[in-house]
Amino acid sequence: MANRRSPSSRFFSSLLSPRGDTLLYLIALVSIFSFFLHHISISASADSHFEGFELEEEDDDSSFLLLQSSLSDLPRRSPPPPTTLTTSSHPESHHGPPPNSNSNSNPTSPDSSDSDRDLKTSTVSSSSSFEFWDEDEFEGFPAEETVTVTPPEVAKDAKPNTPDETLTLTAEPDEITEPISLTKRIRSYSIEITCVLFLILFTVNYFIGRKENETLALAWAAKFASKDTIFDKNFSLLGVGEGDDSPLLLKEGQNVFKFYASGRRFCQGLLATMELKSRHDLISRLYNLIVPCQDEITFEVYMNEDCMDHVVFGLAKRKAAKAMQKEVVDLQRFANLMASGPNGRKWVADEFTVITESKEVAGDLITETVVDQICLLLSKWQKGSEHQQVFGEKAFEKFGKWFISMHFSDQHQSTHRKMLVVKFAIPDANHMAEMTRLVALVPYYIDLIGRYKLSSQARSKTEAARSKVAQEVYKELQNARQEALQRKKAERRKMMEEAESKLNAEALRKREAKERARQLKKAMPKIKMSRGA
Amino acid sequence: MASSGNDPRQPSTAKPYKPQPVHPDNLPVDYSGFIAIIFGVAGVMFRYKLGSWLALIFCAQSLANMRNLETDLKQISTGFMFAVMGMVTNYLSPARAAVKT
Repeated sequence: MANRRSPSSRFFSSLLSPRGDTLLYLIALVSIFSFFLHHISISASADSHFEGFELEEEDDDSSFLLLQSSLSDLPRRSPPPPTTLTTSSHPESHHGPPPNSNSNSNPTSPDSSDSDRDLKTSTVSSSSSFEFWDEDEFEGFPAEETVTVTPPEVAKDAKPNTPDETLTLTAEPDEITEPISLTKRIRSYSIEITCVLFLILFTVNYFIGRKENETLALAWAAKFASKDTIFDKNFSLLGVGEGDDSPLLLKEGQNVFKFYASGRRFCQGLLATMELKSRHDLISRLYNLIVPCQDEITFEVYMNEDCMDHVVFGLAKRKAAKAMQKEVVDLQRFANLMASGPNGRKWVADEFTVITESKEVAGDLITETVVDQICLLLSKWQKGSEHQQVFGEKAFEKFGKWFISMHFSDQHQSTHRKMLVVKFAIPDANHMAEMTRLVALVPYYIDLIGRYKLSSQARSKTEAARSKVAQEVYKELQNARQEALQRKKAERRKMMEEAESKLNAEALRKREAKERARQLKKAMPKIKMSRGA
Repeated sequence: MASSGNDPRQPSTAKPYKPQPVHPDNLPVDYSGFIAIIFGVAGVMFRYKLGSWLALIFCAQSLANMRNLETDLKQISTGFMFAVMGMVTNYLSPARAAVKT
């Protein structure tokens, strides 16, 4: 773990900025400070503006009207003028929140019906300006203005106090204003509501998904790694810790589980890595609804150095095999896609493609037992017997679909060169038995490859190929080394040249100075000469 | 149990598990933490509420996918700080002005 930390931190720091997180923190602090300053200045200016505005408004109405016309482009900031009630003109009521003027007026006055009608029309017509009416904006208003600018809930409270005859009249606008204010308020918080809901769902899903993944991994371990199961019968040491009571599985992240086994002939150890779906992560879960993925398990068998002959072999579904042949270095170097199987014997189904170094290896590794066991189907056999075909297809559907790929190689590009890599999909916890035959392939192939010896003919071929590749690698290395050397030399030469040019410049200056002096000297004697003459 | 010749187990060769060193380039990139920081910065810079909320959500995702406690926590805390900062600028600053007056 310790050696994972430092490199990853280096990685992230290089990803974000040359200075790492400290720079980000600095930026954060500076921006917080600047934004607070910004807000303070904005609110202060707004307040002063409104105070001045109100004073003028109280002085005379004509100036107010003038001001209002000039301010009509700022409808949200202008306070509701008290004149709306007396004039009850539509354009003016457009600028303030109508329910407030209603509540402010004497509710029992006969004017109220008029104002209510006014309110109704304004609420209907000015629903667009209504959306600008943000409560937060009015929190900053002076205290005396809060009397005139009451939020909608105050208006609601004031209405029930009205006598019955006005109630009948106000009932209609009440019905309109209340749902609007409610839905409006909900709509204004829609982002917050959805985000909080999503966060809650995310948290709930995290615990549910984690549990699901754990049960799946434990089901696998119980099926294949508990007492008297496949791995217990094949390996003397199971689990990641030491001792008999060590935990079988190592959890790495919420969706990666590792199982380790060791103590078997032909191999040093086996590491199975389960990469389950990110069930704990709601976002990946939603993503996987669009792009489905499988729970996968990868077995890596580290073979003993002396127990694996020259074998480079891969088997996967057709498309995956092509991708493997292109991407995996050792397959690319040594192996080719095998077009067709040998005649007269069982071979893998058409869905699969074999990548191999030589036909002999492929023929020896895909034994009849394997084909039978996992029923990777076969074209020849199908034609031979009707019964077998049905059986084979059924069996393939049952077992073959969990098979993803196999890759055996003595030239792996990792820390361990001789390695068998087998990849399966994991069925769900209740159908774990379906992959029993596939898991049984792992010890089977360990023994098969551990005992396997190439024929002398094939061996000479593979040895030639290996020595050739080794030479190429050596040449590449040599080239790289030479390039590095040359680069170093060039750099040194450049440095020398620079130093020389510096020296040269100095020398040039000196020479020039000397030259000048000499010329001066030359000129002097001339005068002298002329004098002397 | 089968005879020793048939039993594939060899307790003498058993080796305890050693976690393989992982090359830094092979580490999975914490995209969600990175996205969280980007959204957080956007939320702060443009006073964009949704940005801050998305930053918070991606922080949660990054936290859920965390594998390595120390390094990942650094990035997550950065993203979280930006998210909270965006929240403060978006929601608390008007209230602050109201208190002032």
